[in-house]
Parts: sequence; C-alpha cells; structure tokens
Amino acid sequence: MTYLAMFHWDWLLGALVLGFMVGWIAVVHRGQGVSKVTARWLWVMVVALLAAALARVIPGRPGYWLDLALMMFASYLVGCTIGSWLRGWAISRHKPAV
Amino acid sequence: MHGLFRWSSKWWPGIIPLAVLWAIAAWSNTTALETDLVTRSTAALKDAVLDKTQITVDGRDVTFAADAFSEEGRRGAVAAVEAVPGVRLVNDESRLVPEAKPFVWSAERDVVRVTLGGSAPLPTSKSKLMEAAHAALGNVEVADQMNLSRGAPPRFDDAALLLIGQIGKLKDGKITISDNTVNLSGMARDLGGREAIAESLKNLPEGFSVGSNDIKAPPYVFQAYKDPVAVTLTLTGYVPDDKVHAALVAAAGRKFFSEKVVDNLKASVGAPYGFAAAVGPALGALSRLSTGTLVVSDREVKLSGDAFYDAAAVQIRAGLGKGFPQGWQFKADISVKPAAAPVDPTVCQQLFSDLLGKGNIGFQSGQATIDPDSAGLLDRLTETALRCPTANIEVAGHTDADGEDSFNQALSEKRAQAVVDYLVKAGLPADRFTATGHGSTEPVASNDTDEGKAQNRRIEFVVK
Repeated sequence: MTYLAMFHWDWLLGALVLGFMVGWIAVVHRGQGVSKVTARWLWVMVVALLAAALARVIPGRPGYWLDLALMMFASYLVGCTIGSWLRGWAISRHKPAV
Repeated sequence: MHGLFRWSSKWWPGIIPLAVLWAIAAWSNTTALETDLVTRSTAALKDAVLDKTQITVDGRDVTFAADAFSEEGRRGAVAAVEAVPGVRLVNDESRLVPEAKPFVWSAERDVVRVTLGGSAPLPTSKSKLMEAAHAALGNVEVADQMNLSRGAPPRFDDAALLLIGQIGKLKDGKITISDNTVNLSGMARDLGGREAIAESLKNLPEGFSVGSNDIKAPPYVFQAYKDPVAVTLTLTGYVPDDKVHAALVAAAGRKFFSEKVVDNLKASVGAPYGFAAAVGPALGALSRLSTGTLVVSDREVKLSGDAFYDAAAVQIRAGLGKGFPQGWQFKADISVKPAAAPVDPTVCQQLFSDLLGKGNIGFQSGQATIDPDSAGLLDRLTETALRCPTANIEVAGHTDADGEDSFNQALSEKRAQAVVDYLVKAGLPADRFTATGHGSTEPVASNDTDEGKAQNRRIEFVVK
C-alpha cells in the first residue's frame, strides 16, 4: 500500500484536488444529488470492488488497475470531505446572526 | 456531520472526471510499475543461488521461475520475491534442479579442444571449473557442456579442479568423476606425463578414489641415423638417465670410428626395461651399415639401411636381436649397397691405410677375440678388399711391448689370423690373405705411455 501510494502520489494528489473541488462546490450546489437508492447501489458496488481487491481475485493488470482505482477513489473521497467541510465551515462563519 | 452526509450525495458527479484521471494514470503507469517490480524482484534475488531465473510481472503479480539447488534455497527465493514492496501475488514456478545419480562429471581432450561435460553442482562451480580449464590449457579451446545437477559428492570442486590440472598433461583422453570414483584413459602428452598424473592422483580429496587409470605413455623413442654424406651419426630421442646417455654416446664413438656423433638425446623417465641392453647391440648393427636408420620405439627395434656386402647383410639380420632382453622385438630391413667400382692395388692400399688411420681394430685384452665395436671398421675393410680382387693382402698384427716377446709374437699372429678369418667368413678367398705377426718389434710410437702402447697395438693391411 505504501509502495503504491508513493509510486502514484501525483495521481492521488490529483484525485484529492478533484475531490476537494467537487466537495467545495457540492455545498452550494442547488441541483439534485443522486437518490438514496442510487447512492446505496453505488456504495454496494464500491464495497464489492473493495472486497474483490482485498481478496485478490482479479489477476494481473486488471487487479492492479482495480487497486489503483480504489486508492484514487479513497483519495477523492478525502478531498470531497475536506472540501465540503471547509466550505460548510466558511459559509457558517459569514452567515449573519439571526 | 449531517451536512457532510447531505453534501455527499452531490459528490458522485465527480466520479466521471475521476474515472478519466484513473484511466490516464493506469495507461501511463502500468509499464513503469511492472518494470520497477522486475528490477526490485531481481535485486531481491541477488544473493540467491539459482539457475535459469526468469521474472515476469503482470500488473503487480510476479511470475517467478528458476532452478534451485535446495528446497531451502527455493523457499527462501520465493519468500524474498514475496517480500518485495508492491508485489501482490507470486506465481511460484520454481523447481529443484534434477538430481544426478550417479553424479558424473567429465573432461575430455581431443585434437582441437577440451570439453567439460556431465554435471556440476552449482553455477559457481561451473564457472570455477571453466576458469581453471582456461588457465591450465592456455590457448586450447574449452567447450562447456556441463549441466547443473544435485547430488555431487562432498569436495567435488576440489577433486574436479585437481583433475582439470591433469588434462593439460594429456595428448588425448578422458577423465571422469562418477560419484566418488575417478577414471582416467588416454595418452599422455609427454614422457613422464603418465607418472606425473599418477603422482597427482595421490592428492585427491578425502573420499575420492581412482577406479581405473588407463593413461598410456607416449612411445619411448630413440633414433640413430648414419649419414654417409655428412659422415655423421645423429642420435635423437630419449635415454633413461645421464649414465646411460654417457655410455651410449661413448659406445657410439667406439663403433662409429669415422663418423662425428651428433648428440641430441634427452634424458627422460619411462624407458622400457632393458633399454640400454637392447640399444647397445642395435647401434653395433647400425655401425655395420653404409647408411641406415635405427628406430627404437618402446620395445620394438627397427633397423633399415644398406650393408656393405651380402654376407654382412645376412649376419646383421641373423644377429640382431640375439642379445636383446626378453620381450623385445626387432625388424631388420637390410639391403646391400651396390658394389663400388674395382680399384687397382695402389689405390686399394691407400684406402686400407685411410681406414686404419681413422680407427684401429680392437681385441679383447690379451686375447685374439675381435672387439664387437670393430665390426663396422672390419666391414669397411672387407668392402675395400672386395674392390681389389687381384691383390694379395698381408694382414700384419702388432702388439705393444708389455709382456714377454714370445707371447706378444704369438698374440700378434693370432690376432692377424682372426682378422683374416673374418674376411674369409665375409666371402673373400682365403688364398689372397696372409696373416703375419710382428709382436712388438715394429712400434710406431713410444711404449712408455698408454697412448703410445695403444697405437702400437694394431693391425695393418699391406697390399702385395
């Protein structure tokens, strides 16, 4: 894991930045998010892929590509979390007291 | 926290650019990652003793194929690859090298090259043996046909290195180690090589033994060539030691009274039994030829050339080999020199004087028995006598002044008669010769010195 993170640090940083931007925007975005049902299915898929990666059932290059995808996704999620939290915190600071 | 959960429903659209980013990352990094893992895996196996190592990487999965020399080494190598950071799975295709039973190694020498074959226990052993062969053989081509196998006896390397040192002493042949047994066959390069190899085999490491040593020595060759044009006797080849060397050269000097002896002999071990006892008489036979070659190869004597006259050829053929030690063989290829043109008595006398000026007919001390060393001179005198068929010849015997006059007189007469008998036996008519004895009455030198006495003890031919 450490080796993969060090080898792909630039791409993980890219995913983190992307996530940060998406998270930053998500706070003020007025459109509809994905539905709860869709989100649930998406999470099921992520968990299934994670299980496949941990079980090392996908051989060769596809296995490596899955590992890379999951790491970038995790980095993206961290970026999203940081972005949304910071944006939420910034908005709450500038909101006039009622 | 609730907001974060709410906002997360709007994070999913970013998945699309993330997927694009991932696709680019996968496309650009896969080969680089695989190359890096190959390098790291290879480095991890640096100290492992393996043969035919192959590492292929597919994604993060390493396929490791190699021949290992022990189960422990094989497992260690697999574990080393598994421990490489970044490696996800190791497909273990390693195996143990086959065990050779019996464990056979060989070094074979032919005309052009030395071939190392059979089994070697480790790659390091193999390269060590090749290096040793190159060092021992200089410019000779060394071919490596060794396989790697398990099952080598302890101290195999030491034994094989010792034997590689011996292959240089062979002209051709094969040295084999089969488990703990060493077998040798072939021909030694030089005389003494067989003995040197046998001596070296005493230093084989503990546990090894010699099964068979069939190394043959090269033929022990002695050659003598009598050249009537250059008036030389050339001796080449080998003699057993300096003592025999000196004795043979001295004998050659006595037997070949007019030829210059060119001595190119070398002393070497390996002479067949009875060498000196066979070569001495054979040189005597050669001295009776006008031109000829004597070749002694191991226990075989070959004499070829031209005798001075028919009876001499018959005598040489019949006499050669009589005094040889047991086990010796001989082959005589003797022809007769074409008869020389007849000469008148004056020239004949001159020829006799010339011959007797170069050498003296010798006798056993105090007796009338002709010294066998004088056979060559007597044959030349006989040939000369044959060239002047009309001349009557007086054979005159002389002694030194030692002893009583009556004894010397009788001895000189007997010695002169012995020479006449030799000539008659050679086919000359007896009525052409008169044997006379002069005792010590006609000295040609002082009888006070040994040299003078030797000159006075003589036979003279006087053409009437």
